[in-house]
Amino acid sequence: MLVKDYMTKHPLMVQPTMSIVEAQRFMGENNIRHLPIVGKGKRLLGLATRQTLLVQPATLGSLNVWEITRFLSNLTVGDVMVKDKDVVTIGKDATIEEAARIMVENKIGCLPVLEEGLVVGIITEINLLAQLMEMMATRVPGVRVTVRMPNRKGELAKLVGAIAARGWGILACGGAPAPKQPDKWDAVVKIRDVPREEIVAALEQVEGQEIVDVREI
Amino acid sequence: MTTNHRIQTPILKVENLAISYETRKGDVQAVRNVSFEINRGEAHGIVGESGCGKSTIAFGIVNFLGRNGKIVDGSILFQGQELRGRSEEELRRLRGDQVAMVYQDPMQALNPSLRIGDQLSEVLIVHRNLSKEAAHEKCIDMLKRVYMPDPEAVMLRYPHQLSGGQQQRVVIAMALLNNPALLIMDEPTTALDVTVEAAVLDLIDELRREFDTAIMYITHNLGVIARVSDRVGVMYAGEMVEQAPVEEVFLNSMHPYTQGLMRCVPKLGLSKESSYLCPIRGRVPSPAELPPGCIFEPRCDYARPRCRQTHPELRQAAPGHFIRCLFAEEIAAQEWQPPEDLIPDLTALMARKAEAAEPILHLQNVRTYYEQESRSVASLIGLGKKCYVKAVDDVSIEVPKGCTLGVVGESGCGKSTLAKTIVGLEPLTGGEVEFLGFDISVPVKKRDIKLIKELQMVFQNPDSTMNPSFTVGHQIGRPLRCFKTVPRNQVRDEVIRLLEAVKLSAVYYDRLPRQLSGGEKQRVGIARAFAARPDLVLCDEPVSSLDVSVQAAVLNLLLEIQQQYGTTMLFIAHDLSVVRFFSDYIAVMYLGRICEVGPAEAIYAPPYHPYTESLLSAVPIPDPTAEQKRIRLSGTVPSALNPPSGCRFHTRCPRKIGEICETEEPPCRDAGDEHRIYCHIPLEELRKLEPVVTVR
Repeated sequence: MLVKDYMTKHPLMVQPTMSIVEAQRFMGENNIRHLPIVGKGKRLLGLATRQTLLVQPATLGSLNVWEITRFLSNLTVGDVMVKDKDVVTIGKDATIEEAARIMVENKIGCLPVLEEGLVVGIITEINLLAQLMEMMATRVPGVRVTVRMPNRKGELAKLVGAIAARGWGILACGGAPAPKQPDKWDAVVKIRDVPREEIVAALEQVEGQEIVDVREI
Repeated sequence: MTTNHRIQTPILKVENLAISYETRKGDVQAVRNVSFEINRGEAHGIVGESGCGKSTIAFGIVNFLGRNGKIVDGSILFQGQELRGRSEEELRRLRGDQVAMVYQDPMQALNPSLRIGDQLSEVLIVHRNLSKEAAHEKCIDMLKRVYMPDPEAVMLRYPHQLSGGQQQRVVIAMALLNNPALLIMDEPTTALDVTVEAAVLDLIDELRREFDTAIMYITHNLGVIARVSDRVGVMYAGEMVEQAPVEEVFLNSMHPYTQGLMRCVPKLGLSKESSYLCPIRGRVPSPAELPPGCIFEPRCDYARPRCRQTHPELRQAAPGHFIRCLFAEEIAAQEWQPPEDLIPDLTALMARKAEAAEPILHLQNVRTYYEQESRSVASLIGLGKKCYVKAVDDVSIEVPKGCTLGVVGESGCGKSTLAKTIVGLEPLTGGEVEFLGFDISVPVKKRDIKLIKELQMVFQNPDSTMNPSFTVGHQIGRPLRCFKTVPRNQVRDEVIRLLEAVKLSAVYYDRLPRQLSGGEKQRVGIARAFAARPDLVLCDEPVSSLDVSVQAAVLNLLLEIQQQYGTTMLFIAHDLSVVRFFSDYIAVMYLGRICEVGPAEAIYAPPYHPYTESLLSAVPIPDPTAEQKRIRLSGTVPSALNPPSGCRFHTRCPRKIGEICETEEPPCRDAGDEHRIYCHIPLEELRKLEPVVTVR
């Protein structure tokens, strides 16, 4: 699960000479929110987002319609983009959780993926959410059970053991500390081809753990 | 894993594209109304006969149409940006290093005067401003990615020092150096041997997955399309007539033209007894004289009056399946019956085959060596040791009267030399050739004219075997006059009869070769070979340069003539499906030797010689559901100047059993029914091999 496997390869990119009017239209037409600006050989020069394309009224000399038109028509993405030294990027061999951490900490929605200064792809929050979806096997039908267990070693093994003992298959499995209960841990498992009642009956017998949520998806 | 969670902008989106060429007669629309799109990591195949505008589309996308070509209508969106109507400079910047192209002939794509290393690193130095050293490193990495053996040494070589397959790998590596978003491949494997082709196709498939490159793949070979593409567009006379996912096109084609194309190619394993080829009648109309209604109407078996008036639009007939036909739903392809005049009547041929025929041609230990001077000083004064290229070495085969012997093998294995030796164009080095009981081991000059008359040849390239300044009638008449087949005053009538026999009319008598299409030229070549009413005709790749529909017609023609005259044929080809279809007996050659010979059906089922097995696993099959074992030969055919000891195939054999293969000549193993295999592996083990191709 590395960035290079989940990034969008060959992203849409433009030259810094494109006017912002055109860039607006381009991003709208192609339904994208992040636009790497590249120079020769796909070298990253900057990044434009829908926000950077919003022109601050303060930068306008006057509010005269003709003035605004002239001002906008001379403005290129190169003028308004986030310059490359300020763009947060990532290498293609980083893990996706590392990508998620950088995006969360900087509160940004995308990371251009670089290899020796050249854009080889782009990873956005959508890519990561898509991956979350895959990790939870969202598109495969099955029973999703959330089990709350004490936060200590061996508890997850007990749960998995109980499932394995009955010869069921685990489609997906994930876990996180329970909200506002630091001594508890929530594990989510998804089991397929087994009726809901049987699963509940089996997992209720696991000592010290409680079923918080069961649903068929 | 699929990550297509949202609608993406396709890498390439072509809409209503029309391209014209300016000619003296006015603008000729070579491509009209073509639309398709290619997503990331998708391979879109474009297939059609020659002259259908496939390459024109590719050239239009990279703006390489030449001085007289221009895009007249439509749009080409690359990565969301319009390419049409931009200046050269803008285009260069937009496309930049994001589109790469691989052409048919790798030798023409490489500069013969520069080392491979310099050509490759130039791409990186120019586009990415890399230093020479860094570029060199990267190039070696890329050559390793395309499985080039010994990349460091290859970097120092010149293009002519590489084999065709290696050259094509270099070109592909060069195309991928910049990590392009779109790769356009125009018949990249057409000039390569099947074994090399299979390896290159594997490579393309793997790179597509790794780099997520969108590929536009142009070819006329239906088998190749079935192997590489996700979606297929079928072009006919400048229009896209059908577009669908690959399985749909092959298993459930809806347009009569696509159905016709499928019927033109022999399926691997089918023979002339159990099936027939159905050529599409007529030919592709020239773009200047298009019919007013449906462009396929004049050749269509289902044409109705409305087809003549209304030009059909591309419409969706099933989800994802687009066709340009008014009545596609009413066509039942399974119930299709070939028109009477298209299928040759082969009953007599079958009957004749049933009788045990006498061998007409008998080859015993035939050797043809080419002398080559060694480069030492001693050879300058005539004292050097002589080297020999053993083009044909110790070949013994028989051809029964009225039957067809197919000869297959990779290029450079001596197929053509064998034919030339029999015909007498190459002097025999050793062994015996007996024809009708006569010894014909003498060169053609010393042969009796009656003997020459009985042995005729059809060549691969019809263009270079006809004299451009003589009329067709004169050329076909020449053997008639030389051999005095008919009295002098009847030559003209006989030529016209021959022309009619090859489905050409008398009007062709006064035409010059340049006024004929490729298929017509090959027909004239066949008429000329059969003019003397020979007993044996040697066909050296007679259909390799022809389009599938023409190929089917020419094969049918050969069968019909063979049936009429009872001619024996030696049929050389590299397409294993065609050979299987056409021949009664097949000989598989490798490096001048026969490694397997026997009845056609026996060759295509176990026991196989390991070489035959790998050849069969490399044939592209025009059926995406067929399962094929994956055996890939490494390396190229070794030099015939210094062939490997023992079994000649041991250097590349995937089933080599040990030292015995290197030291001893393989024994002849008789698998019954005249089926002979030359291999060290015992027959019982070869019999246990699973069939290479399973068609569901």
